[in-house]
Amino acid sequence: MPPQRLDQARPFLTLAVVVLAWLLVPVVVQTFTRASFFELQAPLAVAASYARDLKDYWSLRLHTNSELIEAGRDLARLNASYEDSVAQNLSLQAEIGRLEELLRLPTYADYRAEHARVVRRDFSGWWQRLVIRKGANYGLPLGAPVIFSGGVVGRVTEVHAYTAVVELISNPGVRLAAVIEGETQPISFQGGINATFDPPKGVLEFVPLNVFASAAQPRRLVTSGLGGIFPPGLNLGTVTRVEPSLDGLYKNGEVLLDPRLSSLTEVTVLVPLHPE
Amino acid sequence: MATTDTNLAGRSGHLVESHKSYQPRVIFFYFVMLVLLLTLAGGLAYQQLFKTEHHRDSERMQNQRRILVPGPRGNLYDRDGRLLVGNRPRFAVVLYLDELKSEFISEARIIRRNFAEAGDKDLPTRDQFNQLARVSVVQRYLDQVNRILRRDGTVDRVDLGRHFARELLLPYTLIDDLEPAAYARLVERLPVRSPLQVYASSTRYYPYGATLAHTLGYVGVENDIGAEDFPGEDLKTFRMKGTVGRDGLEKIFDAHLQGEAGGSIFRVSPAGYKINPPLEKRLPVQGKNLVTTIDLDLQRATEAAIAQIAGDGLVGSAVALDVRTGEVLVMASKPDYDLARFTPRPDHDTIADIEARQAWANRAISSAYPPGSTFKILTAIAAMRHGAIDPDEPIVDCQGTLRKFNRGFVCYNGKGHHGEVLLPDAIADSCDIYFYEAGWRATPEVLAAEARRFHLDQRTGIELPNETGRMLIPDAAYKDRVRGEKWFPGDTANMAIGQGDVLVTPLGMACFAASVARGELTTRPTLVHRPGAPRQQTESIGLNPRQRAALLAGLEGCVTHGTAAKTLALPDFQVPGVRFGGKTGTAQVPGKKNVAWFICFAPLEQPEIAVAVAIEGDTPNEEYGGGRYAAPIASTILRQYFHKQAHPAAFVTPIKPE
Repeated sequence: MPPQRLDQARPFLTLAVVVLAWLLVPVVVQTFTRASFFELQAPLAVAASYARDLKDYWSLRLHTNSELIEAGRDLARLNASYEDSVAQNLSLQAEIGRLEELLRLPTYADYRAEHARVVRRDFSGWWQRLVIRKGANYGLPLGAPVIFSGGVVGRVTEVHAYTAVVELISNPGVRLAAVIEGETQPISFQGGINATFDPPKGVLEFVPLNVFASAAQPRRLVTSGLGGIFPPGLNLGTVTRVEPSLDGLYKNGEVLLDPRLSSLTEVTVLVPLHPE
Repeated sequence: MATTDTNLAGRSGHLVESHKSYQPRVIFFYFVMLVLLLTLAGGLAYQQLFKTEHHRDSERMQNQRRILVPGPRGNLYDRDGRLLVGNRPRFAVVLYLDELKSEFISEARIIRRNFAEAGDKDLPTRDQFNQLARVSVVQRYLDQVNRILRRDGTVDRVDLGRHFARELLLPYTLIDDLEPAAYARLVERLPVRSPLQVYASSTRYYPYGATLAHTLGYVGVENDIGAEDFPGEDLKTFRMKGTVGRDGLEKIFDAHLQGEAGGSIFRVSPAGYKINPPLEKRLPVQGKNLVTTIDLDLQRATEAAIAQIAGDGLVGSAVALDVRTGEVLVMASKPDYDLARFTPRPDHDTIADIEARQAWANRAISSAYPPGSTFKILTAIAAMRHGAIDPDEPIVDCQGTLRKFNRGFVCYNGKGHHGEVLLPDAIADSCDIYFYEAGWRATPEVLAAEARRFHLDQRTGIELPNETGRMLIPDAAYKDRVRGEKWFPGDTANMAIGQGDVLVTPLGMACFAASVARGELTTRPTLVHRPGAPRQQTESIGLNPRQRAALLAGLEGCVTHGTAAKTLALPDFQVPGVRFGGKTGTAQVPGKKNVAWFICFAPLEQPEIAVAVAIEGDTPNEEYGGGRYAAPIASTILRQYFHKQAHPAAFVTPIKPE
């Protein structure tokens, strides 16, 4: 039986041996292992999301025939309503296109929309990001903007074979050029320090002194389009506070982001058709 | 063999040390050692206990560096709170070199290895390797910016070397004064955590370009900014460039407008790189704002009128004062320069252009001209006060010329003869012969004394730099001193009509007009707006009501039927519903350009505003009448002033600055 002290030190010795072994492994192997770690892990997350879908399917199978028939009727009604909406959408799209051309508004013709399901949400004090179920297999590029019905979600920061990581705009590591609706001067928007269950917020810098906003009179913040990554006019959030900086040069502000950012299930990646 | 053993044994007997607990010879060395140890301990104690502060300071000086950042200057506003001069953010992309230490080292290693592999015999020195590495690394980051902005820039080796040697703790500017689009691209595309960052500083912002340029002034670069009450004055300090007022209000109120510098104190590594976080940090604070007395609406209308009436290329100035308080409502000087071209700094072409047009001078305060016939107001006051003339009695019969003192004196005003005019008509029609006679009767000493009572020979003391001291009220003593000549009656005649050696500034004449309007001697002009400032009150001129009424009648007559009437009758130059009085003047500067003058005040009953306009002629010796060229500019100011009084809602008044 080994001495008690040696026995207690065994975990540390093991750790030391592992670290030493890792350090002795050739750099190429280390790099490959690090790169492939996410790829090995990703199928688990994807499989989990499929399992969730299957679970939902079987939970639906437990409904009675009458319920299913009723649901089918609801669905038929919904379909009819959607078909009507699609028809309306077509005419509205034509109208929008006409107005965009008339007003020389930007269009998203430079992008291909790639809809993707959210596999995992990863929120912490360090980062706020999503893993989506599409990656290099759908040609998603690094840095591509990601949007949803409420506006900007974030941008793609990692692209793997079948998945991609999207850094949310609530993440302090994301910064983009925004404009307050009705203004022209671009300002810097950056994700804030967001606690896990708090409503997501962002911060504004370099706001011109003649811009005013408050909780009582909030202003909408949209993408400027000047940065070259995000198309213009996409909703970012609501500016609820701007205050002059101490040096009086400009104002700093706070932006309330869409609370749905933390519960997204589907997002759209805008893939540039003509990347720079 | 036995002998050998014996010898060894004998020697060993000497070799074996016998231990003694007490060795007297060693005591000396113990003592020496003790002394040395005590000396060391004493020295150590002395250094530790008595020179603590000195060593702490040395350590601080060696390991700490101070960075000072200037505070933005305060803003300048007009009397209604409209921004005249402000600050705008100026964006630059900078590189924090202190974060690149490891990159510099590894790059130098790579470069050294490449040289070695190439078998180059003539290897650079260690310093040269380091310099190459710095340029290479900085260029790599600049290329990153180049790709984003689609430009092609290279690192200036000399500039980088200088920055590295002198300002390592300050960020190195790669591209300055970014356009909004470039700023937006960099904000969106540069990683948040990168040595490359978009940096904001402030630069002066002039929303109205050349308007009021001379009065507002401009700023220059200040390399030696200070930070009061910020610790570490003895530390090696790196200073970001600040600004200092070079002209106009920016210069006079520099201390008021100057922001409070912020700063930080960092600990640095032996190589000079800073170690975060800072030991001390203070944000810069903006300087105090200044609300001027200028009325922007009047100012812009005046400048537009000068350009329209006198022409873009002409030289002149206009000043309008609040009669009651002496506040300067308008101060225009042409030619001027566009202040927007002074940010961040004027280029050589701008400077050359300003010098070629002689546009640096604020002619309202720096040009001294003969006042011409506007001086007749003073002659009239002097003569009346001393009983030399009675306003109700004619003193001379103007037949175009007057023969006196063995020479002829010509009346230059009026195509016909004025005849036996009374004072009001003499003022209205600007009869020279009347005022020659009034001057002779009053005597030159009285004229000079009266002009000095109105302080026409002194600076007004306005809060602007470079107010000329060349204004002059001549007298016999002056002429004798300067020219060694006697004073002749012709000199008195010249003086009586504002010619000869008399010199005044447009601002001085505006103050004179305001003083006459109030019936007092002095008006102190000011450019600092103090809401609710009391009415200025100084010594009375000393005219009785009949004399004052005659004077005012003459001034009103000038604009209703006198020398200014013809122009002011034109629809564009009428001032509807307001009675006002004025006096034209046309000053001849021998061999030089002539000057068209008009001074006035309104309303006649209770004066509120006084104006002086002086426009230089463009052709030497050309008749350049004040009624034709200067009076319309003054009437434009009056029209705008009373229009604004009647329709304040038509002029948007922004929020008053704090």
